[in-house]
Amino acid sequence: MICLSKHEQGAELLASYLARTLDAPRMAELDRHIRECAECRGLASVWERLDEFAVPEVSPGFDARLYARIAREGARVWGWRRWLWPPVAPLAAAAAAVAVVLFLHVPHGSDSVQQASAADIEQVAQAVDDLDLLTPIDR
Amino acid sequence: MNNRNRRWPGGVGSLEMPKPSPETGVSQDMEAAVALERDAQLMLRVREGDDTSFGLLLEQHRGPVVHFLYRMVQNQAVSEELAQEVFLRVYRSRETYEPTAKFTTWLFRIATHVALNSIRDRKKEKGHESLDEEMDGMERQVADRQQTVEQEMVHEVKLREVRQAIEALPAKQRAAVLMHKYEGLDYAQIAGVLSCSESAIKSLLFRAYESLRGRLAHMA
Repeated sequence: MICLSKHEQGAELLASYLARTLDAPRMAELDRHIRECAECRGLASVWERLDEFAVPEVSPGFDARLYARIAREGARVWGWRRWLWPPVAPLAAAAAAVAVVLFLHVPHGSDSVQQASAADIEQVAQAVDDLDLLTPIDR
Repeated sequence: MNNRNRRWPGGVGSLEMPKPSPETGVSQDMEAAVALERDAQLMLRVREGDDTSFGLLLEQHRGPVVHFLYRMVQNQAVSEELAQEVFLRVYRSRETYEPTAKFTTWLFRIATHVALNSIRDRKKEKGHESLDEEMDGMERQVADRQQTVEQEMVHEVKLREVRQAIEALPAKQRAAVLMHKYEGLDYAQIAGVLSCSESAIKSLLFRAYESLRGRLAHMA
């Protein structure tokens, strides 16, 4: 005799019993048992009572809100990740290297050289920005 | 309403194709296996940059996740906010996603984590909040289906008692019951979500249903 309140898979059995998905002999056995066992009747009753807990519909704007959040987050992430995007990364690294080399090897007293190096850096940065504009928006 | 018969399409844990039945040509197991594979495949496509697949996953799982969270926190606005967080985390994780577990197990693991954190934070913030304060428009939606004022009142009383009984469960028991009763997850999946053994889940569920039986006995 199966007693749902003592069987280790009582909850699972109960679910199958109430869904009427057990095989016929087992259904009949449980029908008989539940008529006789107050504990199992109580358990079956709990399961049915829980059906009272209905849920509201999901708000119509749920998806739109989610996609807006994803887009906002994507924009933020793209802000710094663009420097890691493969076509951009070497140029970004090159720009950084040029900047370091210029800083280390150019006499710092010379305004003209400083202006030249600043122009070089700006030029490289501009190239990086141009490439950035070519980046597919949906990446 | 009984969602017990709904079965989730899940991950890739069972990709062996069973033999079709002679009657229908397609066995239920085969249908399940095809469905099982679908979500993981979709998520892998999301990983490759296919946002349409993310939309399909959202369409499939939005309702169950929101409803699970609603029954966990018993507040519609909060449950939808938490569900947004769940799907946002799924999207964020796309690049590192590996189908090592069923998709639904992974998804409900995230949802449960988010819900338990929220419950903990809300308890810290304002202590126990009465259900009266938390009642939102849900009962009124349900009430629309009632035919008489008396039926409506009886229904509301029953609903309130069920909500209170569920809310009184320890959070982990609550999550296990909700996944088992309403979302149709089996012991193995719930064990995966809650990081327990299956035997621990059986014991947890047994205690939870016993507790509910005690609280709801007068409703029988």
